[in-house]
Amino acid sequence: MTDLKVREIKRLAYERPPIRRGYANQTLYVNISDSTISCKPVSEKMKETFVGGKGFDLWLLWNAVNSRTRWDSPENALCIACGPLGGTPIYPGSGKSIVTAISPTTGSVMDSNVGGFFGPYLKFSGFDALEIQGKTDVPTVIFIDGINKQVQVLEVTGLPEGAHEISEVLTNHFGQGKPRNISVVSSGPGAKHTLIGLLNFSWYDPKRSRARLKQAGRGGLGTVFADKGLKAIVARWDTVTLAMNDPADEAALKEVARLHSREIMEQDPKQNQMSMVGTAHLVPIMNDYDLLPTHNFRYGRHPDASKVGMDVYRPLFDKGYDGCWMGCSLACSHGVKDFVPTTGPHAGQKVYVDGPEYETIAGCGSNHGIFDPLHIIEMNFYCDNYGLDSISVGTSIAFAMECFETGLINKTHTGMDLSFGNKASALEIVHQMARGEGFGKMVGQGVRRMKQIFSREYGADRAFMEDIGMEAKGLEFSEYMPKESLAQQGGYGLALKGPQHDEAWLIFLDMVHNFMPTFEQKAEALHWFPLWRTWFGLCGLCKLPWNDVVPADNKQTKEPAKVIQHVEWYTQYFNAVTGKSLVPADLITMSEKVYNFQRILCLKMGYGRREHDAIPYRSMGPVTVDEYESRAERYDKQLKEIYAVDTDGKDTAEKVKTLRKFREERYEQLKDAVYERRGWTHDGIPTLDTVRRLGIDFPEVLDVLQAHGVA
Amino acid sequence: MVLDEGREFCWREGMTVADLLKELDDPYPYAVVRVNDAVISGPDFEKAAVPRGSEVHLIPLIAGG
Ligand code: SF4
Repeated sequence: MTDLKVREIKRLAYERPPIRRGYANQTLYVNISDSTISCKPVSEKMKETFVGGKGFDLWLLWNAVNSRTRWDSPENALCIACGPLGGTPIYPGSGKSIVTAISPTTGSVMDSNVGGFFGPYLKFSGFDALEIQGKTDVPTVIFIDGINKQVQVLEVTGLPEGAHEISEVLTNHFGQGKPRNISVVSSGPGAKHTLIGLLNFSWYDPKRSRARLKQAGRGGLGTVFADKGLKAIVARWDTVTLAMNDPADEAALKEVARLHSREIMEQDPKQNQMSMVGTAHLVPIMNDYDLLPTHNFRYGRHPDASKVGMDVYRPLFDKGYDGCWMGCSLACSHGVKDFVPTTGPHAGQKVYVDGPEYETIAGCGSNHGIFDPLHIIEMNFYCDNYGLDSISVGTSIAFAMECFETGLINKTHTGMDLSFGNKASALEIVHQMARGEGFGKMVGQGVRRMKQIFSREYGADRAFMEDIGMEAKGLEFSEYMPKESLAQQGGYGLALKGPQHDEAWLIFLDMVHNFMPTFEQKAEALHWFPLWRTWFGLCGLCKLPWNDVVPADNKQTKEPAKVIQHVEWYTQYFNAVTGKSLVPADLITMSEKVYNFQRILCLKMGYGRREHDAIPYRSMGPVTVDEYESRAERYDKQLKEIYAVDTDGKDTAEKVKTLRKFREERYEQLKDAVYERRGWTHDGIPTLDTVRRLGIDFPEVLDVLQAHGVA
Repeated sequence: MVLDEGREFCWREGMTVADLLKELDDPYPYAVVRVNDAVISGPDFEKAAVPRGSEVHLIPLIAGG
């Protein structure tokens, strides 16, 4: 039993406002340097412009930071928000939070969405968003108690290190016999010693009597949290009801929720079976289409992929309801019960593992040349427990493995054999990240910094590492092979925060279905999809129920990829809660304001221009002769048929070079087309006309644009 | 006979997923077809057999990501 010592540093008793049409109409501000706690009003203009969720986060962040703010500056604000629809217990996928801050890996704006109960509990406690500034040396827990209407900054000693244990201990401590009333945000020891730390958000699973975890993984937000001296943020709320969001039209809300839920129940078993296997269903499909990254994205397919496919994980997942928010009928958050790790502090103990999901299977499995399902579960467990992003861990280790195999670094640098396929070494790297020692500490700096260190300290070939290091903007790529899809290269490279697929996942539409053969069509997709997906983050929603299950007749619609029936349902849902009378196109405009505002916030921080949308050549085409020759038929055909190159008599190295020239040109042409469609300059900056049209032409926005030559 | 979303069609010895799609005369570019519990992707349509009495689901679009 952990012996907790809790000392109150500061307390704010507050009046809890009633929720009106999905909004609490105030945000919570905590500065842990001087223990300031205050409530800030939310204006109608703020709702009109930024909607909520990510929009509110970005507005708070804009006002908190200046162009010199670094990720570890005290004024860097960690913001967490839900959204006006968040907390609805009957509509599938309505419990997401969005976290933002200045990222340690990109130096720019990061956003990451996450399930769990925290965002809704924060809102029902009276706050649309939470903004934390400052830094402290004392181990600090922020406790937001919506039931007793008080916020406390607490010094808590005696807390365990690992995220699972912290969540369990604090759930019991603050739950007062009602653990379901608690949600805990925590990181873990890895977050302190690396730049790729994540945040774990808990949701209490009554059937299994345990606090389970979802992750805000990308861009080192857990590292910001740990650097501030935070141990946890805890929200406490009571029973959740439909009426709590004060929907304008409860009957309409019930009806549209019923339609979407019923469709999920009927169609999911026939389609992707998310409620049975979660995103693990993607593994064999990605492999079949040459899209599953293996060996640091060299290849997209491996004969052993079936060993880590959904058929292997299906029987390993613990049976039962796995919705990370109440009433989510897609219920995809599966876990493995009684798993026994073979290494690390939990070796030999039974633990519960949340996951693995597709990204972790690909990132910590195939991309390392490892096809052992139990090894991947162990990597998954320790990444969560240590507060490490399994995508960045996966892609960073894969890069280090390729550097090792190609002789750019060796055992004197790594202290271990880091060949592809070495499971013991992959796990040891993760444990070293948590301990802040050895080569693992270096890998925990992420791919961009490893490239600098390896060339500076070990004389490694910088140009080659720039080609094979799968990062852009400083963020590691998520786990889809984009080489053969120009639209997906744009989906990664033109994403505001860096190469995460949550803005646009276009591989299938582009590469498999060839739905967008022209630059203009690709640009249109790279306009619409990121805006549509942004909308989920504004409202507190999970995107999975939008297109991981679709109506039976969806394929007969004009644009099946948009799942228009669902877009209409989401519009009705938004109107039913907020009382507005919007049409689907209005949702896109809502997102467009926030999307452009985020691009300008990147600009304010010194990023957000064309040069920052560059991607490594490994993501565009074959870097090496081996890669080319592994798919020689495909590449030769393209050179001949698309680019009219006579390949006869050319050696592979020459063909690699020729193909590269064409592909790099194509990516630049794509940038031009997308910038134009988005209403941006040739340098990728929103024009004055664009910001005026969207109503985000505030003086401070115009000042930033002017400083970058847009006036 | 093989059942697909209520549609029935003739099964024949040696039938593959590609044969089945041809028979259905459905122009939608399916990426994935589930035959009983097996998930078959496009590149394997030509060689994947559809056993007699199979339950087949044509998966309209892979959402992913
Ligand atoms: S679909 Fe999955 S991730 Fe999304 S809310 Fe439901 S359980 Fe959570």
